[in-house]
Amino acid sequence: MKLEDYKVVFAVVGLICVLLLAVPALSLAVHFPAGEKFSELWVLGSGHMAEDYPFNVNESGSYLVYLGVENHLSSSAYYEVILKFRNESEPLPNETAGVFSSSPPLYVYHAFLQDGQSWEQPLSFSFLQVSAAQNQSVVGGLTVNGVTLSVNKHAVWDDEGSGYFYELFMELWIYNVTSDAFQFHNRFVGLWLNVTAAS
Amino acid sequence: MSGLFKRCLRASAWLLLILMVAGLLSYGSPCVKGADDASVGVGNADAAVRQAFNATLEAERAGANVSGLILRLNEAGTVLGEAEIALGKGNSSEATSEAGQCVGIAESVKSDADALKASALDEARTVFWAYLAFSVVGIAVFVVALALVWRRFKRGYVGRTLGMKPEVAHDEA
Repeated sequence: MKLEDYKVVFAVVGLICVLLLAVPALSLAVHFPAGEKFSELWVLGSGHMAEDYPFNVNESGSYLVYLGVENHLSSSAYYEVILKFRNESEPLPNETAGVFSSSPPLYVYHAFLQDGQSWEQPLSFSFLQVSAAQNQSVVGGLTVNGVTLSVNKHAVWDDEGSGYFYELFMELWIYNVTSDAFQFHNRFVGLWLNVTAAS
Repeated sequence: MSGLFKRCLRASAWLLLILMVAGLLSYGSPCVKGADDASVGVGNADAAVRQAFNATLEAERAGANVSGLILRLNEAGTVLGEAEIALGKGNSSEATSEAGQCVGIAESVKSDADALKASALDEARTVFWAYLAFSVVGIAVFVVALALVWRRFKRGYVGRTLGMKPEVAHDEA
């Protein structure tokens, strides 16, 4: 090998070693992009599994499900899970347009989660003042986690499903630090319920 | 004398009645005032929790471990939820009490988050200078060492080359 060839070897080895020595300082300045950022919202049955969801419910029963949220936003987040109740004719949130449901909030859970952390809380509910006459049913109230709430919802008889159907659904909202306000996080889950009066 | 006393008593009773009516009109009913106070209290609690979360997020961005703060924020969130429920049910005294408790937790979280952020920033500054010093000094020492090794190698190489004896090649053909 000629002297010039040795010079190239020295330069390459030197450059590699300089880069290795610069890694600690570079790590402070260079930040690699995080993966996909998202949040999860789920509802599980009474056995903490995706089964045994209440469907045929009546005024005399009490029902239990579990609500869960998981944060994958690369930083801590402040969530609200808002419980709402609707009949078949009222609109659901629009995921495409990112618009929340116009139904009034009945119950609100507050949850603070670090990145990768999950939160799960029980949701127990029962119905009050359920009546049905002339192909129309009315649900007067709802008890959620021991709190009595007035709902006054009407539903008409559904011939196809043979029942009076209502939906108990939960929207996920997130606190936006910049605007200092909660915004709909475009996630919701729901339970269809065939509500009948006490048997 | 008795007539004068009676007139004075009647005048005092009227005055007292007028003062009571005026008092009620200027302050509103005690029930409405209690509900307003509770509503303001819950609003303050909500704002305090948001501020505590903002401070926690800043501490996290500065590199602090905020898991303890998040636990306490969840506690504040639960109490805030209870205050909102009590307010919805018209239980003003419970709503005010829960809201006060929530503000207490949120303020303590905010103060701890500010302290954690300051210490995390100090630590980050120390780490930054230590890493920078390691890299700069390490590179400088390495470059000088490499230059010295190169000079020595080059001298040896040139010496070996000059010390070589020319070989006589035979033309076999």
